[in-house]
Order: sequence, then structure tokens, then C-alpha cells
Amino acid sequence: MYFDGDSIAAPATPAAESALAIIRVSGPLCKELSAVFSGKMSIEPRKAFYGAYRSLDGVLQDCCVFIPYPQGSSYTGESMLEICCHGNPIIVRSILDDLFRRGCRAAEPGEFTRRAFLNGRMDLTQAEAVQDLIAARSRASIDAAQRQLDGSVGRAVNSLLERLLNVIAYAEAYIDFPEEDLPPEDKDGPIAQLVSLQSDAKRLMATAPYSALLREGARTVIAGLPNAGKSSLLNALLGEERAIVSAEPGTTRDYIEERLIVGRHLLRIVDTAGLREGGGEIEDKGIEKSRQLIAHADIVILVIDGTAPPPCQELPVSLRELSARGLVIVAINKCDLPQEKPFDELLPGARLIRLSAITGEGLPELRDAVCDIIDSRYKAPGQDDVLVCARHAEALANMSDSIAQALDKMRRGEAAELAASDLRDALGSLEQIVGRVDSERVLDLVFSKFCIGK
Amino acid sequence: MTGTENNPYDVIVCGAGHAGCEAALAAARMGMRTLLISGNIDTIAKMSCNPSIGGQAKGHIVREIDALGGEMAVNTDTTAIQFRMLNESKGPAVQAPRAQCDKKAYQLRMKHTLELQPGLHLFQAIVSRLIYGTGCVRGVGTSIGAEFYAKTVIVTTGTFLRGLMHIGKNKTEGGRSGDFSAQTLSSSLKDAGIALDRLKTGTPARLLGSTIDFAVMEEQPGDAQPLLFAFYDTRGLPDDVFHVEQSPAMAAAERLLFHVEQGRGMRRPGWLPGMEQLSCWMTHTNARTREIIIENLHCSALYGGEIQGVGPRYCPSIEDKMVRFANHERHRLFLEPEGRGTDEWYVNGLSTSMPFDVQQKILHSVPGLENALMMRPAYAVEYDFAQPTQIHSWLETRQVEGLFFAGQINGTSGYEEAAGQGLVAGINAALKVRGEPHWVPARHESYIGVLIDDLVTKGTQEPYRMFTSRAEHRLLLNHNSAELRLGPHAARLGLLTPARAAAVLRKKAAVEDWSARFEQLAAPGGKLGDHIRKGGGLDAAPAEFLALSESAREEVLYRVRYRGYIDRELRHVSKLAGVERVSIPDTFDYATVPGLRNESRQKLIRHRPENLAQASRISGVSPADISLLIVALASRNT
Repeated sequence: MYFDGDSIAAPATPAAESALAIIRVSGPLCKELSAVFSGKMSIEPRKAFYGAYRSLDGVLQDCCVFIPYPQGSSYTGESMLEICCHGNPIIVRSILDDLFRRGCRAAEPGEFTRRAFLNGRMDLTQAEAVQDLIAARSRASIDAAQRQLDGSVGRAVNSLLERLLNVIAYAEAYIDFPEEDLPPEDKDGPIAQLVSLQSDAKRLMATAPYSALLREGARTVIAGLPNAGKSSLLNALLGEERAIVSAEPGTTRDYIEERLIVGRHLLRIVDTAGLREGGGEIEDKGIEKSRQLIAHADIVILVIDGTAPPPCQELPVSLRELSARGLVIVAINKCDLPQEKPFDELLPGARLIRLSAITGEGLPELRDAVCDIIDSRYKAPGQDDVLVCARHAEALANMSDSIAQALDKMRRGEAAELAASDLRDALGSLEQIVGRVDSERVLDLVFSKFCIGK
Repeated sequence: MTGTENNPYDVIVCGAGHAGCEAALAAARMGMRTLLISGNIDTIAKMSCNPSIGGQAKGHIVREIDALGGEMAVNTDTTAIQFRMLNESKGPAVQAPRAQCDKKAYQLRMKHTLELQPGLHLFQAIVSRLIYGTGCVRGVGTSIGAEFYAKTVIVTTGTFLRGLMHIGKNKTEGGRSGDFSAQTLSSSLKDAGIALDRLKTGTPARLLGSTIDFAVMEEQPGDAQPLLFAFYDTRGLPDDVFHVEQSPAMAAAERLLFHVEQGRGMRRPGWLPGMEQLSCWMTHTNARTREIIIENLHCSALYGGEIQGVGPRYCPSIEDKMVRFANHERHRLFLEPEGRGTDEWYVNGLSTSMPFDVQQKILHSVPGLENALMMRPAYAVEYDFAQPTQIHSWLETRQVEGLFFAGQINGTSGYEEAAGQGLVAGINAALKVRGEPHWVPARHESYIGVLIDDLVTKGTQEPYRMFTSRAEHRLLLNHNSAELRLGPHAARLGLLTPARAAAVLRKKAAVEDWSARFEQLAAPGGKLGDHIRKGGGLDAAPAEFLALSESAREEVLYRVRYRGYIDRELRHVSKLAGVERVSIPDTFDYATVPGLRNESRQKLIRHRPENLAQASRISGVSPADISLLIVALASRNT
């Protein structure tokens, strides 16, 4: 028997820059996905095909190689699809996001292997090979989880859990004890409690981007014309900062990514190929890539050669948008040389910093500006606020969805056990964070609140 | 002679309560040579506490017992004096039938059913010990000195294992008022390494009806059109072996003594339109009741420190309710008739372990009971049970091969919970004797499955009672679908007559067929399925559909109406189906699993789950832990 439930997706290669990245999808949706990306209804199994990955809204994400596997002869034993895209974490992320919108969900640690095992697709050597891997990975994630659960995230999520359990217990009391002398059932109270649960979950979820910023680093793109001094600026930043987390050699074709710590923030700095002044070369891949990077950036440092006239080409729309949100710094380089003229009008909303990548003048101001932007624009939470990670945010979003469905039924006065079933799903989402909750907890609450018994 | 060392029984059942009767009948119906031993065969299938069968979740279990060829449903239908469908304001999944029974008639019919069962021998003796072989059970020793040998033994001792009854400071040995207790069997179980613990339960006083003033109480009559528990109507069929003649519809004042008609080929009347039902009556405690209880709290066995066992929270004594819910002005009480041929009444809601004189004061403070005469006092009873984490899901003990436990010895409460386990124990004892793999209903196909899985994976700290909220797939477990969920299993196991087995499979096919056809048939404004889901009627339904049995029609409509929810539940179930099949050997060493959190490791060692699905249901065990287990098991098995 095969799982005929959900489809899962996850990157199969590490989240680093490389020539290629592979995303694996397993489950019933794979057939449909293969058809979408190949444009054909029937696909030859295990034969790679080349195609454009367009997201649901029609936007081209990357040109990929797809390998479909039929049920029964894949790693997991289910229908599978392997998507080989360019090894750019941003592309991988957007393809995954799109797969989630198409109905897949993020695979749990070891879930492909679990399915493979359950479907009888694994032998001893394979099992042993993945065992170490999973053990190592989950040890890390469990350590992380425990640290979170000991602290504020645990308290925040457990408080949501307690409140949800209370609503569930209240509803269950009226379902399970029709003969008891219970007070008249309050319909509005539970609805109000669920609504407030939703808004609190939303508040928690809103911290996920900042949390990702802390964990993964702020995606900082250095853009500008060729010879504006982008590379020297990057080198200057790296050279001055001793706390380099990792410096991966510029082996990638399109850009270089470096990690460094600035103040209390981790930056993932990307030096782009450059926004070339290429009249007519609209289709140029390099420009396209840079524009994509800018569109996904948390912060952009636009480097301008202060000794040259302002660039006359059209700046990418996304850059203007980021600038309007206060996320762009215009670094006017070569301030040690005679300046051309002011650049105040270049990008409304951007901060101007005059610096010299050669002498180091203005670099402290640049670093301060970067930190300031992260803290002010990405809502650095207050002392008492809680940061949730993306996995928690997903669970909280699922909980909110289930609660919305329950609310809908409660407001329309449908049979109580149907809303109860949605609330059970909501609880299941929280269980993804806090682990299994014993059904006895619900009964504990019922018996502590109501006088029940013959 | 059967039962000797050389010619053992296949199955011996110790105890003829609700668990023991179902266990013995199931085993015998599966062709086992079965001995049912009871300390007193006048108390077979005795309803020791309230006179009702069914109710929320319990009524579901009774219908499941019927689907599995058990006796409780038919026995209830034929001896009931009132039927009520509970929760009619809620949806069908959480509605449940309940009946008040004639206690004596219930016992007599069950006893006679046992007598008529081929291959079943009923015998009166007190089982004093178990006879063990190496790691297995071989039979039982009795108080009359006789020994009986068997391949398997099912222990269904109820509250009789070192039963101790409390009325105030007064203590009497016994499993039930007026009965003995099994004093030595406990130590025999301990000899085999089975750990025993204490639980407590209680029962209220019984009153003489002619001294009760019903005029000041609120009447709770039966339903005009009751639903019977049994799915398969044997009335008029040759396999209808027995019935208890109900009192005909007569004025209550002329209430006749019931009489028993027995013999093969007689019609089973069950409930028929126009047949008289008896009412229950509702009253309340008041401020005076509360004063009396609070003043005398120190006299209560429970509050005076006399009782060590843990009592059920859902069935608290009246003193417990007064203490825990001090702000409640009054507590509801029901007066329930114990039968047609008696004027004894059960006071539902007034369980207590107060001394006799205080009990009388309490009673007389209640409106309508000012002059009530007590016929039996309320009491609490403590008894031994074995923490059910010591048994496998097929109810065989982990320590002793061939030894099965069912009912209150596993820490449960309730006739229905006991009967469900008895049935499963009887089936599995028979399968063991046949050398076939064991069988246990799954959580998503029955409340009996939920019950057993909860017991063996989590154990229990109080007498365990079933609630619908314990079932995560509650929407799949509506009582009307019990026959379709479990009937095919029962047919395969040989628990049904060939005629009934065929009828079940026909019904299942028809329901599945019609549920699909509703999505194709045209109706005003779309397909018939959509029409029904929008609240439309059956005007467009074909005549063939309307010709189906009521139960089949109801089930089709349930499946059509709630299709979205049912599909979602089925998706949840299929997600688990894979892990359900991966068993964890009893000898599995959790210490060898790298990366497992210490807390999870200890829980897994304590609960010893049989498969990954059980492991995943243990509180605090995370999906990551399960992944680690999967890989550890994979490398071990290959």
C-alpha cells in the first residue's frame, strides 16, 4: 500500500551556491506537475526533459531539467519528480515556495527515507547510510528545538496551545455529556477566543522574516555599473571585518556570495555581475539575474562612481520599490577623488553614503546604515517579543487556516462535531511544534471545569 | 472428559460478567471448546451499577459488539424497558442510543443464551489460582479443589479481585454487595510477575418506588420510535433462539410481572410500536443536601482516608461533587427503574461512601425522596487491576503466554467497555488456539479499537471510560456504520451466521455503490450529491434507493452529506497506514537508536509500543523521533 495522502517537497542538495541544485518532490501531485512543466499529458518515465519552470502566476523562475519517476520505481516508491535548477538558493527558495502553493508541503526531516522504508524501497546499506545523516541532522534540530522550547517561543506557543485546548474542551463537553447538568452553551465566547488566537498567531508569524534574517543572514545585494567599485567595496568590507563566517570562492558563474557579521547582524553579501549599460541588450542574462537578485534582496547597496556622471540607464523597477521602502543605500564611491556632482535625486528614499573603498573612509557609516535598516525596517522585536522560525510560522499558518474553517461552521451553526474536527486539525498543527498532546489533556480540562458524573 | 491435563479445553473464561459472557460466546462461536467459570451462576451478566446500556460512545460500542456477532446488543433490545437517542441536537456521528434494561431479564436471557451455545460449558466455582507451565498458562485451580486445564485462559474478574466495599468506616470483603471476593487469585497473578494496583468505583442506593413522590419530579420518557441496538433483525428467523417476553402495553398500574418464554424458533419481539416503555424521573439535590454532606465529610470513606484506590473523575461521588464544585447550588439526579418485575429504583447521581445514617439524611433532603425507603445502601468498592501496559493489543499478557485479560482488570469502567474487550479477548484466544494471527480492530474503524489502543499504549490512572472525544477519527465512527466497519471482519473470523455474513456484505456493497451513484445522478440544479449537501430532499432519488433498509439509506446519506469531512479523515488515516504496519519487536533496544532524545527514549521504554503508529501517539514523542525509529528498525530488520 502506498501513501495516497499528501505530496512533499524539499531540496536534496545543501543550501549553498553550486552549479546545480536538486529539489525532490514525492507524492500524488508529481504526475500533474510533470504534465505542467513538460506541457504533455503523458511523459516517458525516468527520462529527463528540459523545460521552463514558471510559477503559478506565470513568472519564469529558471530553466530546469526535470526527471519524473513513476510509482513503484522511485526512491520513495511513490510518484516522484526531481527538479534540477541552477544552484542558486534564491531560485531554490522560489521554486519551493511555488511548489507549496501548488499543494505540496515541506518534507519533515527524514521523511523521504521514511516513505521509502514504509514502501519497502530500502535495503540495509541504504538504511545505514541515511541513519547517520538523519541522526546528525535531527540532533542539531532537536537541540535547536529544545533551546526554543525552553525559552520564549515555547512559552508563547504553549500559551496558544492552552487557549486552543480550552476552546476544544468546552466544545467537547457539550458533545460528550448531553445528559449532564451543564450551563447553557455559550456560542460567542469560544468564537471570540478563536479570533483572538488567530490574531496572536498572526503576530507571532510576523516575526518569522526577522527570525530568518537572524538565522540565515540578510540578503544584501551590491549592485551598480561595472567599474563603479562593487568588488573593491566588497573586499574592503571583508578585509576590514575579521569576523568572516565563511568566504566561499567565487566559483559561481553569476555572482559571489560572502558572509560576514556587521554589528549584531549576519549579512549574506552578493556581488552581482553588474547592471551593465547595454543599450538594446534587454535579454542579457546577466542583467536579468541581477534584477532577480535585487527583487529578492533584503537590502541593496547601489554603488555609484562618484567621479562619473550619474547612470543614465533606467534603474530596475524593483530597486525603486525597495528604495521607497527604505531598503536601499546609495554608496557614492571614490570620495577620495574629485566628485562629479550630487546624486540626491537618483533614488528617492535611499540613504546616501559617501565612501572610499580604497581608503576605507565612510565604511563605518555604511555598516551603521546597514544595521539601522535591518533593525528599523525588519521590525526588530522588543525585549519581550518572541521570534519564530519559518517551520513554526508554517505550523501557525496552518493552525489559523483550520481555525478559520471552524469559525465558519460555528457562525453558520453547523453540527458541533464538524467544527470540532477542524479544531483538532488546528491542534495537530501546534503538535508539529510542541510534539504530541495527549487526548487526556482535553478530558482533564472538561472535568476540571464542569461537574460531570452520575 | 474435557478439561483434564491430557484433554484440555481450548479456552477457559474466569468470570461471567459482561466481559466474560462475550469472551465465552465469541470463543465458542468460533468453534472452541470453552469453559465459563463463575463464582455464582445466578449473577451472570449482572448489571452491578446502573440499569442502562449505551449512551455517548458506549452506545457506539454496543453497536460495534453487535456488528462483531456479540450478544450485548440483542440482549439489550430484548430486555429493554426504555430507549432514548442521545444528542439528537448534534450531528449523526455523535448521536448515540441508550436503553434502560430490566436487570433480571437481562441476566436471565444472557444465562440462557450461554446455556444454548454449543461447545460452551457453564460451571459454578470460585477460581482460586492459575496453573502455569513454563512462561505460559495451563489452567485454573478452584475453591472446590477441582482443576481445569486449557490452552488459553481469559481472566474477567471485574471488581472481584480483592474487592473491598466501604460504607463509611465499615468495610466488607466482596466484589459487589452480597457477593464474595477473589482473595487468592491476585497473588497467583503476582507470582507470574504481573503488577497489580488499586482502583475504586461506587454505586448509589436503591429505593422502593412506592415510597418515592414522582409527582414533584420531571418525567423523562422513552423515544416514541426507538432505534434498536442490533443491526440484524432475527425476528421470525430460525436463528432466533430466545427471547424475554415483554410486558404487553398495559396501564402502568397493572404492571405485570415479566415472564420468560424460551425455546427455539420463538419470535423475538424487541420493541414494537405501541409497546409500553417505562420513564425515568429527574430531581435535584439542594442546599440542605449540601449542608448534610459537608457536615459529615469526615465520615465518608473517601474523605476519611479509608480508600486508597483512585476513583473515576467522570463518575464522582456526591461528596466529591460538593467539594470540587462548591458553588453549584444543586446537582441533578435521575431515578431509573431497575425492571418491570420489581419496584426497586436506582438513584443516578448519588453515588457515595457515607455511613448508612448519613445516606438516609442525604436521601430525605432531596425533593420527592423525603419518605423514600432505602432497599440497598450506596457503597464504594476498591479492587485490584493490572496496569494495561502489561498486555498486548490482542489482550494477551506480555508475561504469560495464553493468558488474556478483559474488562475492569484492565482498568476500565462500564459494561460496554468490558463487553467489547471480552469479545476481542475471546476472538484472540480462539485465533491463538487455531494458530492464526491475532486480530484487533483499528482506531479508525471502531471505538473498541480506540479503547484497547489507549489502554495498552498509555495505561490508565483511573477507571477508563470511553468518550467520543478520545477518537481522533470520530466522524468515521458514527454508530450506524458499525456493521459496515466491522461486519466484514466478523464474517471472515466466523463470528456471524452465513446468512448474516452475506447480508452484511450485500449491505456494504449497496451503500458504497449508492454513495458513488449520488455524485453522478442528476438532480435539480446539479448532481444529486450536491443537491443533498445543499439541504435538498430525496424527491429525485430513484425508487431502488428508497427500497433499501433504513440503516443503509441513512448511511448513504451520511456519507454523501459529510463527504468532505469523511474524505479528510480518510486522508489522515491513510497517512498513518504505513506506520501502522511497521511493528516494533518486544525486545527492541531503544538505547541503540542514535539521536533519540532521552525523554522520548524513556517514554518508549515504558510504553513499549507495538508499532510505529502507537509510538507516534505517545505524548511528547515527535515526528523526528519516529524518523529515527524507522531507520533503526529498517537496519535491524533487513
